[in-house]
Amino acid sequence: MAARVLLRPSRLIAQAVNIRPSSPRAFSLSMRSFQQQEARQSPAQDDRTTHFGFETVPESEKEARVGAVFSSVASSYDTMNDLMSLGIHRLWKDHFVRTLNPGSRTASPTSAWSILDIAGGTGDIAFRMLDHATNINGDLHTKVTISDINPDMLAEGKKRSLATPYASTGRLDFLVGNAEKLPSIESNSIDLYTVAFGIRNFTDKDAALREAFRVLKPGGVFACLEFSHVDSSLFNAFYKRWSFGAIPLIGQVVAGDRDSYQYLVESIERFPTQEEFKAMIERAGFVAPAGVGYENLTGGIACIHKGIKPV
Amino acid sequence: MSLSLSLRALPRSSSACSHIASVQVCRRTYYSIHHPDPPPFPPVQATILASAIQHVPRLGFTQAAVTAGAQSTGYLEASTLLFPRGPFDLIRYHLVTERLALKDRVQFPADSKLGLTEKVKKLVVARLIANKDIIGHWQGALGHMSLLENIPASLAELGNLADEIWYLAGDKSVDFSWYTKRAQLSAVYASSETFMTTDQSPGFRDTEEFVERRLGDAKTVGGAAGGFTDYVGWWAGNGLGLARAWGMKV
Ligand SMILES: C[S@@+](CC[C@H](N)C(=O)[O-])C[C@H]1O[C@@H](n2cnc3c(N)ncnc32)[C@H](O)[C@@H]1O
Repeated sequence: MAARVLLRPSRLIAQAVNIRPSSPRAFSLSMRSFQQQEARQSPAQDDRTTHFGFETVPESEKEARVGAVFSSVASSYDTMNDLMSLGIHRLWKDHFVRTLNPGSRTASPTSAWSILDIAGGTGDIAFRMLDHATNINGDLHTKVTISDINPDMLAEGKKRSLATPYASTGRLDFLVGNAEKLPSIESNSIDLYTVAFGIRNFTDKDAALREAFRVLKPGGVFACLEFSHVDSSLFNAFYKRWSFGAIPLIGQVVAGDRDSYQYLVESIERFPTQEEFKAMIERAGFVAPAGVGYENLTGGIACIHKGIKPV
Repeated sequence: MSLSLSLRALPRSSSACSHIASVQVCRRTYYSIHHPDPPPFPPVQATILASAIQHVPRLGFTQAAVTAGAQSTGYLEASTLLFPRGPFDLIRYHLVTERLALKDRVQFPADSKLGLTEKVKKLVVARLIANKDIIGHWQGALGHMSLLENIPASLAELGNLADEIWYLAGDKSVDFSWYTKRAQLSAVYASSETFMTTDQSPGFRDTEEFVERRLGDAKTVGGAAGGFTDYVGWWAGNGLGLARAWGMKV
């Protein structure tokens, strides 16, 4: 088992090396724009602060910095997810979508679901949801709007969508926007709101939850897949060493970009625990599902939270 | 192998009542008369499930019934994600609400001349009759209950029903024999309920006779001075047997 886990990184590094030529350039470009933004904004103008990994930075700056991180890794973020999830984030995503069972089981077009995939970046979750709706539930009308704050990520999603059967079916939509404020999305209009590996990057998570509550129809569902907190201390010790020790180093070696990877590791550590996050969801007005109200994956490395907007 | 392991782990996982010392405390929670439990389901769940149960005679204990329940109360198809266990949450709702309804359905006057066994019989039959509208779907329900992940909750609810019946029949003893009585009555109830799923007689007369016979078989009903070893022995030996008597395919 340990051997398997240890074997993976070398394969991942090999994979990541392939994408190497593109990433340093993307990073330096976005780094430059980020520095320009930073020069424009003096932190003193707005002294509300938030966390950027373990650094505390003014809120206005975090948005720019998060943008920089994801631009710098726009096409290598899969590699990053592989590293953080010990290679199994694809299985989690499959499971996430399967438990959501998206799409209507009654064949009429009026019962089709309106889905909003927030921080949907490369479309990973959205494509899976359309596949599920189509192939499992025989629903050919359910639609997904992929929204992301970062146009580069969204462009990558658009590009990848061309290789899916949904490219020009009107079932996919792309929207650049900040999850904390989605003015172009009508209140009470969405059946299912998903956010996978996105919410921990949001500056104001409570604002994003309130916005999710607003756009969902009564009875609509908020569903979040996110890295979380490991529930066994032994495994936790191993995972911390791996994530804090190895990952930034690999980021350095592979992408020449230790900081972005360091940020990812720290943002996970900072994210509220399962119970805390469940309480945040309930505070926004949602009702948690029967039972514990969330589902740990792989010992809590990741976790699925859901909330239903009451009628 | 994993099945027998998890069954052995049942006393711990299925109720808070595994420790002798906590008998007093945990029994009390079953006594729905003196200590009404907090509502067994939170409001939104209760709203949807109460409506879903109306659709069971037509749709069975299915995801479709849960969805129909959601839609007829203004909720969406997606809202059924509130119930991660799907049909089983609906089945549990039926088990819990019918157990709690028993005390209103059967009442014995203070000067009742009926013996303990007679009262137990009346209660068991009243509970079984509450299944009459959905009896055609009950074998399907038992199928869901026999899924490994649902067995602990199902057997716990069966135990709760046995406790409730003993209590309503007027047996207030708190001693070791409680475990034996609980086990015996659970077994009688489980086999009677399974019998009822194939009973074609008018008014389920055959089922009533079956209950009578089974209670007669258990001569020692209520009288056995069972001990701790009975309890352990029951879980070790009969947990699986009981699940089978209840029609579970384990
Ligand atoms: C790790 S990626 C996850 C992408 C995809 N959902 C997946 O599961 O593979 C995180 C995404 O969150 C986006 N993001 C960060 N802050 C955001 C915000 N405030 N609003 C919307 N998206 C945001 C980033 O641009 C990035 O695409």
